[in-house]
Amino acid sequence: MLAKREFTVANTYHYNWSSPMRWIISHLLQYRFLFLGFALLCIVNNIFAASTSLFIGRAFDAVLQKNTALQQLGMITLAMLIVITMQGCCDLGARLTAEMLSKRFARDAREELYTNLLGKSQTFHNRQRVGDIMARASNDMTQLSDMMSPGIDTIMDSFSSLFMSVLFIGLLNPQLLLVPILYVIVFLVALRFYARQLGPVAVNLREEFGQTNAVLTESVNGIEVVKATAQEPQEIHKFVTRASRYRDFYVQNGKIHGRYLPTLLLGIALALAFLHGLYLYSHHEISLGMLVTFMSLMTYLRYVTYMSTWSFSLLRLGVAGAERIISLLKEETELDANMGGHKEEMRGDVVFEHVTFSYGSTPILKDISFHARPGQTIAIVGQTGAGKSTLTKLVNRIYDVDTGRVLIDGVDVRDWDMDALRSQISTIEQDVFLFSRTIAENISYGLGSKADQSAIEVAARDAQADEFIQSFPQGYETEIGERGVTLSGGQRQRLAIARALLTDPRILVLDDSTSAIDSATEDEIQKAIHRILEGRTTLLITPRISQIRWADSILVLRKGELIDQGSHEELLARCETYRRIFSHYDAALPASVGGVEHD
Amino acid sequence: MGFIMEGLDAEAYDRTYSDGHLIKRIIGYFKPKLPLMITITILIVFNAGLDTAFPLLVSNSIDTLSSTHAFQTAVIIVGFILCSSVLSWTCNLFRQRFTARSVGDVVLHLRKDAFTAVMSRDMSFFDEFSSGKIVSRVTSDTESFATVVTLTLNLLSQVLLYVLIVVVLFFRNYQLALMTLTIMPAIIGVALGFRVVARRFTRRAQRSLARVNSNVQEIVSGITIAKNFRQEQNMYDEFKQINAQSYYVNLRSGFLYNGIFPVLVFIANIGTTIIVYFGGHSVLGGVISAGEWFLFVQSLSLLWQPLTSIASFWSQFQLGLAASERVFALLDAEPRIQQTGHETVGQIKGEITFKQLLFSYDQRQTVLKDFSLTIKAGETIAFVGHTGAGKSSIGKLISRFYEFQGGKILIDGRDIRTLDLAQYHARLGIVPQSPFLFSGTVADNIRYARPTATDAEVYAIAQQIGNGDWIEALPEGLETLVGETGRSLSMGQRQLVALARVLLQDPAILIMDEATASVDPLTEAQIQEGLDVILKQRTAIVIAHRLSTIKHANRIIVLDGGRIAEEGSHEDLMRRGGHYSDLYNTYFRHQSPDYKPGEGFIPVRDPNMQAPSTR
Repeated sequence: MLAKREFTVANTYHYNWSSPMRWIISHLLQYRFLFLGFALLCIVNNIFAASTSLFIGRAFDAVLQKNTALQQLGMITLAMLIVITMQGCCDLGARLTAEMLSKRFARDAREELYTNLLGKSQTFHNRQRVGDIMARASNDMTQLSDMMSPGIDTIMDSFSSLFMSVLFIGLLNPQLLLVPILYVIVFLVALRFYARQLGPVAVNLREEFGQTNAVLTESVNGIEVVKATAQEPQEIHKFVTRASRYRDFYVQNGKIHGRYLPTLLLGIALALAFLHGLYLYSHHEISLGMLVTFMSLMTYLRYVTYMSTWSFSLLRLGVAGAERIISLLKEETELDANMGGHKEEMRGDVVFEHVTFSYGSTPILKDISFHARPGQTIAIVGQTGAGKSTLTKLVNRIYDVDTGRVLIDGVDVRDWDMDALRSQISTIEQDVFLFSRTIAENISYGLGSKADQSAIEVAARDAQADEFIQSFPQGYETEIGERGVTLSGGQRQRLAIARALLTDPRILVLDDSTSAIDSATEDEIQKAIHRILEGRTTLLITPRISQIRWADSILVLRKGELIDQGSHEELLARCETYRRIFSHYDAALPASVGGVEHD
Repeated sequence: MGFIMEGLDAEAYDRTYSDGHLIKRIIGYFKPKLPLMITITILIVFNAGLDTAFPLLVSNSIDTLSSTHAFQTAVIIVGFILCSSVLSWTCNLFRQRFTARSVGDVVLHLRKDAFTAVMSRDMSFFDEFSSGKIVSRVTSDTESFATVVTLTLNLLSQVLLYVLIVVVLFFRNYQLALMTLTIMPAIIGVALGFRVVARRFTRRAQRSLARVNSNVQEIVSGITIAKNFRQEQNMYDEFKQINAQSYYVNLRSGFLYNGIFPVLVFIANIGTTIIVYFGGHSVLGGVISAGEWFLFVQSLSLLWQPLTSIASFWSQFQLGLAASERVFALLDAEPRIQQTGHETVGQIKGEITFKQLLFSYDQRQTVLKDFSLTIKAGETIAFVGHTGAGKSSIGKLISRFYEFQGGKILIDGRDIRTLDLAQYHARLGIVPQSPFLFSGTVADNIRYARPTATDAEVYAIAQQIGNGDWIEALPEGLETLVGETGRSLSMGQRQLVALARVLLQDPAILIMDEATASVDPLTEAQIQEGLDVILKQRTAIVIAHRLSTIKHANRIIVLDGGRIAEEGSHEDLMRRGGHYSDLYNTYFRHQSPDYKPGEGFIPVRDPNMQAPSTR
């Protein structure tokens, strides 16, 4: 189990992550009675199946001895009919329960992974490739489902068939056991050898599949650049290189399949068994009917021999998939939900005390200290990569500080309950991410399903988004994204503002990057931003220098260091870097601006 | 159960192919592998023959035993059995090898085709369909395609075995052989009925799985938002519902696939019982020998195996066919962009002419109507206008990302439809609104458009953008890894990389869509210097929002509702005090440090003109 996580679901079943096998078993144990039922049905099914061979032998003996043969033959056939009917029922029951186990396993494992991914920190998600996670969540999950049914299903069925056949041969005449027992031993050894050979190749095959997926996802997501630069051949080359490696493993996999020794061993065993049976028959140890039963029981071994290649490779692939899923599950996350931590209504007092933060081994922020009083707007300026965004992410604990403290209302953010903390801090990100659902659902995202329509519309109006939303035929019910409309950057941002307004946070982090929106939209966004800043402590990163100018305090960052802070006038007077921003803009202002009157 | 099926509709470009058509196309892919395939088939025939030998030999020896008790002959027969099994195994060894090789190659080929098809789709395709679904067609579905072939080969060997045994049985005793075959209609009937249902179930199951996957993909991509709003619980609830739906749909198809087996086995067992009874009668009547009776009983167990294989074959064959159907639909999707020729592009001067152009993204709303404009070679044109005025569309049309419905676009007087697109794109530089970077280093991304560029060239180009100051801010300079979609870099850094990328490409025509957006004020000035370099000596279409960009332009086109409202230089347009001055006014006020947001729109009153413009 992970020590820390940002999200948990109540009453979850805890699975064992110590090894792939244990994980699989712990999943199956969740449905132990279903599994037990399945196993029982498999065994009973095969008892019935093996006993049909006995009846066939009896029929031979009856016919060849010729006394009351017809009557006996009728009785035997009747008994056989009953047995095969019962066997059919057991067989069907076993297959259906296996199917249930299989699909439940996939469903639960998928849910487990999903919950787990939600619980991971942002740092984790920054590290992972979306394509790679997707390969695990989709293909490896299918492997898991296939591993149970038909994989484990076939293994259970074929091995109980093997066991029952050998048992019935022993009951027939213990001497007949010689060849089958020898065969079973050699078979198991050969099977193990085979599995050992196949294992690493199966793992490589899966991994290469994930890589191919990742490369492909990237090409599709970056298609605009690919097309614009006519680099399709380069992308195709990248993809084909990956896909070719996959092909090589596939061929290797096929070669190992071909070298499957047990089928050869079975052929030899059948010949030897027949020879042995003949020998015993010629010495009158067994009847002809028994020889017939023996040979037909021996042919049952075919099932386990032929199916094991396939069923064990499914098991292998499933375990390999499970391993990859577990390694993803086990990835430690840095933060936890801190349930039962500090929980109070925020006033919005933010203090940074000698905060230092590194991303991996790269130092991002060095010894940052400042104080934002409730309702103040703090603008952060600095060159790209100076650490502005990172600084804001320390407030709602997307990241945790290395040294120093971040205090909200005098309480260290690490002592706040994660829910209380994040629900009272809203962030408007650089890249506004909207979900592929309706506009109303996107705005009410922060409240879940609790928001009512009128509140959504008020928020949208305040965010200057109402007008463009109403211009869509379906209004607030318009779908965004894949199946719906594509929104411009400015529209997306106003939706993000509406989203944040609706949750009414005390602290707002506005990482504003949609600067040069076209003209009319610009004023609307400015209004929207102005509206959302009212009465909230705001950390503002913006390219709009007017907003920087009117901020209560401005932090000037340079390569992770806070080189100055103060009001606009103070900084203009003393900070060279800060002055540069404004001198450039003043110089850029055209002479004709002078002729523009404001009234 | 209606709710279970909600939202499992097909993609718009999906089409239905007949099984015959699908199989024909699959075979087409195997044509280059013909010698290998023939070898495999020969091996299969050989294999089947050897497998039939076993029951025959056993049955013969039983007859010799019951009559003469000749142990010697029996031993010789056992020797034959041994040889045949060793041979059969060897055949199989080579068969597996060859199959893996040919299938591996064909799947590679198909993936390559599918990927090439994806790459050649126009942008409207990518706007319409989620990347997750496209990806699953290229990788997962092509893999399922492979199973079709492996299964078909296995089926072939099973059917051969079946036919051989049946022939032998008929030679032994045709009455009993006919009786053996009485179960056939039942098995075929069940298999056919299954086939009809299976295909429908399979499609649903796969679509519902695709939905689960795109849901997971969305949360993985939008995880930051979910975390900021603490919406994990709601996301989870929604996922749970979709996952439960997928469970039911998949369980249903699973029941069908796994339930068919026991039914078929049961029918086969009834067959065995029939043979035991009537065969026994025949032996008693002296029609057949005990050995022949044994052969019939044994053969039945050999006979129903291929039959069930055929049934299980259908299940997976259907999966594979459905998958290949989806792959072929992807390959066959009609491109909306129709090139009438592939003329060599050569050097472009960069003159662009629109003639009475008509364009809309879909039927709902026309974006450009009767749009005419000539952009001179080397000219820098700035398009301004409200959102939805059609500015971006002009860029996309020149890029030939979308098809227009009427009129003409001429490049240096040549119809854009007659040009070789790849060559044309090579002469075209595009700086998109949100810069996309490929995972790799910053240098890799800069040289993306020209992979042959040396490190020195890349460095020189990077230096030209904003005097190279931005490289300092990167932890490892140009060797910094940008991460997936470039997210290790800030928005501003990504912009700078995108600019450097275009600069290295050195295109004749440059299309810039809000390219200077989201760069911090400090970097802004440096970017402007970089743009001076980029815009020089080429035709540039700028969807502009920054003052300095507009000031650079030779001509400003004001768009309103897909029409040209005004055009001219900045000074001319300002003097006119029309639409442009309105835009300009709001536009600049926010860039001035004295601007206070939310004060509304203030109309321009040019001292030289009496009539004030109104909104």
